Amino acid sequence: MKAVHKAADIIGLGLHSLVVHLGRSALTALGIVFAVWSVIAMLAINEGFSYEAQQALRELGSDNIIIESAKPPDMESKASQDSGGILRYGLLHADVRRLRGNVPGIRRCVTVHRTIKYGYRPGRNLRVSVIATEPTYADVARIETTRGRFLSAADLIRQKAHCVITESLARRLFPVEDPLGKTLRLGEEPFTVIGVLAKLPPALAGEGGEMGSHVIIPITSGKMRFGEYTIMFGTGGGTAELVEVSQIILQMDDEKAVLHGANISRHLIGRFHEQEDYEIKVPLELIEQQKKQRRLWNIMFLTIASISLVVGGIGIMNIMLASVTERTREIGVRRALGAKRRDIVTQFLVESVTLTTVGGLIGIGIGLLVPSLVEWMLKLRTIVSAATLLLPLGMAIAVGLVAGLYPAFRAARLDPIVALRHE
Amino acid sequence: MTELVRLDNLWKVYYVGTTSVPALRGVSLTIREGEYVAVMGPSGSGKSTLLNVLGCLDRPTGGHYWLGDRDVSLLSDNQLSDVRNERIGFVFQSFNLIQQLTILQNIEVPLFYQGLPRRERHPWSRRLAEMVGLGDRMHHRPRELSGGQQQRVAIARALANDPLILLADEPTGNLDTATSTEILALFDELHSRGRTIIMVTHEEHVAAHTQRTIRLRDGGIESDVHKGAEARA
Repeated sequence: MKAVHKAADIIGLGLHSLVVHLGRSALTALGIVFAVWSVIAMLAINEGFSYEAQQALRELGSDNIIIESAKPPDMESKASQDSGGILRYGLLHADVRRLRGNVPGIRRCVTVHRTIKYGYRPGRNLRVSVIATEPTYADVARIETTRGRFLSAADLIRQKAHCVITESLARRLFPVEDPLGKTLRLGEEPFTVIGVLAKLPPALAGEGGEMGSHVIIPITSGKMRFGEYTIMFGTGGGTAELVEVSQIILQMDDEKAVLHGANISRHLIGRFHEQEDYEIKVPLELIEQQKKQRRLWNIMFLTIASISLVVGGIGIMNIMLASVTERTREIGVRRALGAKRRDIVTQFLVESVTLTTVGGLIGIGIGLLVPSLVEWMLKLRTIVSAATLLLPLGMAIAVGLVAGLYPAFRAARLDPIVALRHE
Repeated sequence: MTELVRLDNLWKVYYVGTTSVPALRGVSLTIREGEYVAVMGPSGSGKSTLLNVLGCLDRPTGGHYWLGDRDVSLLSDNQLSDVRNERIGFVFQSFNLIQQLTILQNIEVPLFYQGLPRRERHPWSRRLAEMVGLGDRMHHRPRELSGGQQQRVAIARALANDPLILLADEPTGNLDTATSTEILALFDELHSRGRTIIMVTHEEHVAAHTQRTIRLRDGGIESDVHKGAEARA
């Protein structure tokens, strides 16, 4: 019981002398305040950024392997000479067959053909992205219709002129009437709207046409009505591109199958493509990469923070040494009246740890404010977690302990006789 | 009367480089409960060293020192802290009050290190402040007080732990004559109530207040005169 009282009293003593020298204490703690709030701000911005990035990757689906056609950068000049102006590149139907036949653990395989068309309604028109695909697209893209229905197997088999449109497009083309059952002309071909979607994940479906608009039609209907050529009219005539398949989405049974399947797909497609006219995205791998990157940045920020904390700690140590010298006589008196060495150590340690702890807490206060400011001014997402707050605080407390040790032991080592005579 | 202090062939040697400088050369003396002793001697005679050893601030190089029932000549630093805390009261020439504490808090410092809770410290330290006539200044800071008042606080602080011996090092050295007289009167009063007091001084009129005068020279006892004995002689 006595020891508890004494400990509490000695802590009170340390706090007391900080209050007595309030101005000096505040200035000393300032370094720690800055170090703590800056690391909180940095961590919050990094966490927010990586959350956004991960979110985009999650939209791709972590059980998916996505293979997309990509125009090789040096193709334009080469192809126009030997194939009469038709650029032929990208994934082939043969690739789809090979993948289906050889990659183990596929739950769904969805083929997509993408083009840009003009969508017409009487009095209105705008460029839309046409996604010609299969009914299972809804499952791999994790989308649901808010009105009507999605494409069915029957639509696919019968090559129906049915389409599903996004909510934003519906609002644009059908501002007052119910779009369901209405006709929408894509290029020259009329399609009947059978469903409306809230939103398509842009990471999977691409940016879309004007206003981020997408129209989804059965892939069979697209092939029959539009073919697989995309004709583009530029200056001095037109060019045509032939892309058999824009995107293949493999939905796998589980995560293990994803990593294994991704490797097989790479070999399988790589063997039959001479040029780099495709791109394989594995969200699971990308998420892992993103996590690694996030850790790396966090470590970097914490390293920077520790440097500024050390600088702050040196300031604390300096002021504590000055305090010990200034109070040598007091230390002598306390020792003469019965203070043990460890009582003196405790007194000065409490002082330095309190300085950094209070500094850390003020830093947390500012650190909570700054991310909201960043969010408001720079429109960046920030995330402040408990760990983001507590880690710098813990570091600040540790700095106080380390910076206080040397001055405290120096104070305790003073010979009471010499200390009492100190002027 | 019980013996409170017994020094047995006490040596204290300082080593400066390779040469050794003895400050105390085999001092032996006993002090009984209730005695009022003056220690005198020219500078360099070893009286400061003797006071430091008596106050358990310094350990003797040789010999033994019994304080009450305990041989304190061989104790560790921590144990010496406890002995100072429980058995010794110090009064210094320059008062040595802690400036940022109030009078009451200054008086409580020894109790503080005993681990006495605040509730129990307060009434006792209040009584001590009143006893030395500073009941109305308890919440002032030392620098707001006169030298004499500060020395009274220091005496109250020295009594806080109800020590076996009260050690005073030139307690009137920094005071004017009138104030010195007041402080010496306070010591006389404490002595009359049975307090054991050992006072270092170089002023004969201060020593005149005591019953016994020990004169040191070159680290040894030159004379040890009991006033009663002197009168009888």
